Amino acid sequence: MMGRYPRWPIHFALIGAGIVMLVPFYWVLKTSVSGENIYAYPPSIVPRHIHPFFYIDVWYSIPFARYFLNSVAVSIIAVVCNVAFNAMAGYALTHGFRGKNAVMLLFLSCMMVPFQATIIPAYLITGKLGLLDSWLGLALPQCSTIICIFVFKSSFDAVPRSLIDAARIDGLPEWRIIWHIMLPLSRSAIATNVILAFIWSWNNFLWPLIMTRSADMQTLPLGLARFLSYQEDTTGALYAFCIMVLAPGLVLFLMAQKEFIQGLTSGATKG
Amino acid sequence: MNCQSRWRTILSNRFVLVPGVIAAVVLVWNIYVAMHNHGVVVGRVVDVNGNPVADATVALWIFNFTTYEEKEHVTTDARGDFRFSNNPSYKLQISAEKPGVGRSDRVPVFLYFRSQDVDLSSPLRLGGN
Amino acid sequence: MTAIESPMPRSVGRILRPRTRQTLLLWCFLAPSLVIFLLYRVIPVIWNLVLSFQYWSPLKAAEFAGWDHYEDLWFDDVFWQALWNTLIVIASAPIGIALALGLALLVNADIRGRNVYRTIIFLSYPLMTVAVAIIWRWMFDERVGLINYAARTFDLVDKPIPFLNSFTWALPSVIVANIWQMLGFYMIILLAGLQNVPRELHEAAAIDGAGALHRFTRITLPLIRPSLFLAFVIGMLNAITSFDLVYVMTGGGPGRATEILVTYIYKLGFVQTKFDSAAAVTIVFFVLLISIAWAANRFTGGNAGAVETE
Repeated sequence: MMGRYPRWPIHFALIGAGIVMLVPFYWVLKTSVSGENIYAYPPSIVPRHIHPFFYIDVWYSIPFARYFLNSVAVSIIAVVCNVAFNAMAGYALTHGFRGKNAVMLLFLSCMMVPFQATIIPAYLITGKLGLLDSWLGLALPQCSTIICIFVFKSSFDAVPRSLIDAARIDGLPEWRIIWHIMLPLSRSAIATNVILAFIWSWNNFLWPLIMTRSADMQTLPLGLARFLSYQEDTTGALYAFCIMVLAPGLVLFLMAQKEFIQGLTSGATKG
Repeated sequence: MNCQSRWRTILSNRFVLVPGVIAAVVLVWNIYVAMHNHGVVVGRVVDVNGNPVADATVALWIFNFTTYEEKEHVTTDARGDFRFSNNPSYKLQISAEKPGVGRSDRVPVFLYFRSQDVDLSSPLRLGGN
Repeated sequence: MTAIESPMPRSVGRILRPRTRQTLLLWCFLAPSLVIFLLYRVIPVIWNLVLSFQYWSPLKAAEFAGWDHYEDLWFDDVFWQALWNTLIVIASAPIGIALALGLALLVNADIRGRNVYRTIIFLSYPLMTVAVAIIWRWMFDERVGLINYAARTFDLVDKPIPFLNSFTWALPSVIVANIWQMLGFYMIILLAGLQNVPRELHEAAAIDGAGALHRFTRITLPLIRPSLFLAFVIGMLNAITSFDLVYVMTGGGPGRATEILVTYIYKLGFVQTKFDSAAAVTIVFFVLLISIAWAANRFTGGNAGAVETE
């Protein structure tokens, strides 16, 4: 049955969609290496004089390395905590125990609380913890995410029961069951969690905007927004900065996209 | 043997390989930068006919926030060559003048990193404008 | 945490002990996540509620305010504008989901290179929203933006539209950027639903002579309802919270044309340091969120919990 309809309209529509998705990338990449059509009309479609000097401009005109370090540190804390905590919580939820329903209910209702609706108390709480303006404070609200807990839970649920029972009869302690049996079988869940946690913390803007005070603790999104506010749209350097910030997320995503899409498609519905 | 093949699979994993390659490129680049950042700018001044001009004053302008400001002067030697030895910037302009012969355009020079050693390929031409 | 280190006792005589020990262990596993959610989800909601009934600022002792802040909001034009804009943004989420459903159907078809298409369409989701905002600011630019260029090339407009500086176009422009970024994510969620639709059902219906449209509305749509609900909830949450896009693209302007509740909360709380009024807006925001989620849940069949809890 699947062979009868013509394929070209589908390809045609998808190529159209692909172009719509890719053109903004191209446009920004082009300006970042040529600086063209910032004032020019009509804009040229193909860059004429390609040079990397806008990138060098960005590197020296702001403390890029410092912002980068902050972003990387916060993302690493968030990713490591995420995978550890979510895997643990997901594993716990595959068991039946007293209070499980309450925990599930709590998680599900927490899912409906967007972070943006908590910014004021979150700021005050972080202040009370003495973590304002620090890497840990920047990462802490994102150290566990409910969607990823459910992704882990569904992935662990899929591990054959007999395998775990066999390990238990062999007297393996719980943490070794997780480490040696569950996690190796949940690679796509881990990939999903790593990428999501990285994307969310790498791209996070509102929280650093609120809680960083010193210029030394600013992360890349903040740096980018500030760069925009004093450069306006008039320089190719702004777009070079965009590319420099986007690159790490894209590289990570493209490296792990197979596992990621797999994990998301299997986890999202069954989770 | 087993151990060796295990290391090989770990190292050829793309999550190790890609960051590894990036780290290697960054390292090589930094070594290159460290070896070439003495801030030496070398060039030549010629007149309209292309003959070297001795004793021309060459000015180095460096970029500061939004404008270029003059950092230092040198004079060319008998062969029309000049040499700045501690350029601190990555974005500069160079101009030359000599009373009686004329002045050159301010030639913008973009460097790939701060204080890159550079040998200007085209000479500054006096009285061109 | 010592319970993790020691191996499980294997003596048959002590049946109860391992049980309680295991429960304890499971709670230890849950603890870090619970602490984080308690600190950054549960307590903030309660604190917000308390704060919205108080006069309070960081340097002043709290004082009971009753409904004062809510009364102020009632007479606050900016608040109503922000609420209205938020509703418009939420109403735009189904547009993105409908587009994504179309794309998901296409990439679910049995064609060559569909993984490449999936990746390309998904590629905009992992991008930093601030950068996306800057990219789209520029696409919408009046003089040299690509969209105005295309519109002028094809003679759709006489003179360029200043998208982000016009009262009518600013909000739609932000919505377009938001849909562009989220499209791939919706698509993946819906694709997951589509992949769970058994192919035999379609084949059987096709043999019975059901047309493609008929099969889509009778088989596919009901079966992917949970995915649709999930996409809608995520889409709504995303739309309602698209702070970064609005802040960078327009800053809420021109005037208040793109002010949404989240940006208003931020401005009240962290620009004007009126934490208490901001808390009141947050509560309204929250009520709005819950009621829409509830309505969506009813609308899609009332078993949304089934998506998550099996």
